[in-house]
Amino acid sequence: MIKHLFKLIWNQKRKSFLLITEIFFSFMVLFAVLSLMVKYIQNYSKPMGFEYENVWVVNLDNLTETETDSLGTPFHQAREFIASFPEVEAVSFASQNLPFAASTHNSSVKYGNISSMAHIYTVEDTYPKTMNLQMSKGRWFNKTDQGTKYQPIVITEQLSQNLFGNENPIGKIIKADTTHKVVGVVASYKDKGDFTDPVAGIFFPISAGKDYKSNILVKVKPGTGAIFEAKLFKGLGGLLRGWNVEIEHLTDKKANQNKVVFIPMTVLLIVCTFLIFNVSLGLFGILWQNINQRKGEIGLRRAIGATEKDISKQFIGEVMVIATFALIIGLFFAVQFPLLHVFDLAADIYLIAMLISVIVIYLLVMVCAFNPSRQAASIQPAMALHEE
Amino acid sequence: MIKLENIEKVYQTKTIETLALNQINVEIKKGEFLSIMGPSGCGKSTLLNIMGLLDEPSKGNITIDDEPITNYSDKKLAAFRNKTLGFIFQSFHLINDLSVVDNVELPLLYRTSSAKERRKLAEEALEKVGLSNRMKHFPTQLSGGQKQRVAIARAIVGRPRIILADEPTGNLDSVMGNEIMNILTQLNEKDGATVVMVTHDEQMAKRTHRLVRLFDGSQVF
Repeated sequence: MIKHLFKLIWNQKRKSFLLITEIFFSFMVLFAVLSLMVKYIQNYSKPMGFEYENVWVVNLDNLTETETDSLGTPFHQAREFIASFPEVEAVSFASQNLPFAASTHNSSVKYGNISSMAHIYTVEDTYPKTMNLQMSKGRWFNKTDQGTKYQPIVITEQLSQNLFGNENPIGKIIKADTTHKVVGVVASYKDKGDFTDPVAGIFFPISAGKDYKSNILVKVKPGTGAIFEAKLFKGLGGLLRGWNVEIEHLTDKKANQNKVVFIPMTVLLIVCTFLIFNVSLGLFGILWQNINQRKGEIGLRRAIGATEKDISKQFIGEVMVIATFALIIGLFFAVQFPLLHVFDLAADIYLIAMLISVIVIYLLVMVCAFNPSRQAASIQPAMALHEE
Repeated sequence: MIKLENIEKVYQTKTIETLALNQINVEIKKGEFLSIMGPSGCGKSTLLNIMGLLDEPSKGNITIDDEPITNYSDKKLAAFRNKTLGFIFQSFHLINDLSVVDNVELPLLYRTSSAKERRKLAEEALEKVGLSNRMKHFPTQLSGGQKQRVAIARAIVGRPRIILADEPTGNLDSVMGNEIMNILTQLNEKDGATVVMVTHDEQMAKRTHRLVRLFDGSQVF
């Protein structure tokens, strides 16, 4: 019977062309949206690599002075002031590209002939405590590294993979602006939100007392709330007169970053759902019309031995065959994406998206064909033969 | 072989009740060639559909080979139609998207048989109706007479015991009509098939063993 259905649809290919085209485009749109969704879901399931709850960002902005050297003292005073509170567990200065911030700082790094783009972060040796970073190898830089030949750096697992593959990166010398020695590796670092890839990055040390940044990450004790925030804000305002002080929470910043991915993804999903809804309506309409035009054939098939179930199966089967033709064409194009590395996505993401798209399309056509096929099955054979 | 007793068929709408068949009693014996005649709208096709188990009577009993077919499930009825009955229609009812041989194979798709066996039987049936040279053609490439011969091949491919033909020559000229009639006669005489034929044509009816006349849904004796 399957061969018969394929033969029938193949011989009707001109009539089925529009339907095949419609299903093909639906598959491609679904495949694209699902590829993105699978990527986001995969990223979501990966560990963030640090803790952001109870971490606040204190932004200090001198409205008149811009010379870094003259700002060193007030930055230091602010740091000491914040750290003096019992509610504060750890404090670290950090470059502007702190977790969930919109700003980024990239640079190319080299190890021998291998190069990779890396996010550059400048932080204090208290950063791992402040963010509760998970180290996978080695250690964080500390005061004992001062005066060594190579500036110590910590890299992320992603950069370690890019530069060294499966080799142990500890002790390796890499070249960024100057030469640096890898002393540790951070297990994972997703600093742009739940849905983004873990980044390839390097953590450079801030020299104590020098090179302080205008952003201070503050790890507070759990349960510390608005009363302490107001106290801190007031205290910093009094300490740094003429400065602009702003306190943010990393949880809020993360929510904002997630929206950057979530909103376009939702829009895409709505567009995709609308398209699929339209395709469903089209399918439905075509099937109703098909049944009305083929009443004679339905009557004939009943006369020669088809049961109601056979008729129902026949109509569902035909749509499934049409969908199969459309999916074969769709899959041909879809497999080109991982083969030609069209986008920077892993092959397994494409494969999962293809599989889900195929299942969704088959389910969709089955649901659309279910009612019309039942209608076809319920047609009285004598009536159908007479109407023809 | 087929026994219809006190058959009545009423078509009912919200406002009108139409009596299509009234107290029909017909018995068709094995190997018989019977024709049903009557003016348009007298219930000939309705009677044939009831005989072919395509329609249910409002009243009365149908017995085939002494077995009452009332309370047959859809599956059992379908299997019975597939194995025992062969249908030929005035408008051929060929599927234009299938080749001649595929059209002939259709009834065999609803029973257990291999593709090879189906093809062999279809080729034999087409040979019997003189169309073995048109197997790969499509119905749209055939004349009316050829189409009806394909329909006959389809009706006999499953080797049914009973052939029910609803005005098989109605859409054909007299030459083609005679050819079709010759094939049906041959099937009856040589192959022993029981043939029931609805016709308007007195000449065709005269070539059958027995004639049942209907008028306004009732049998005329």
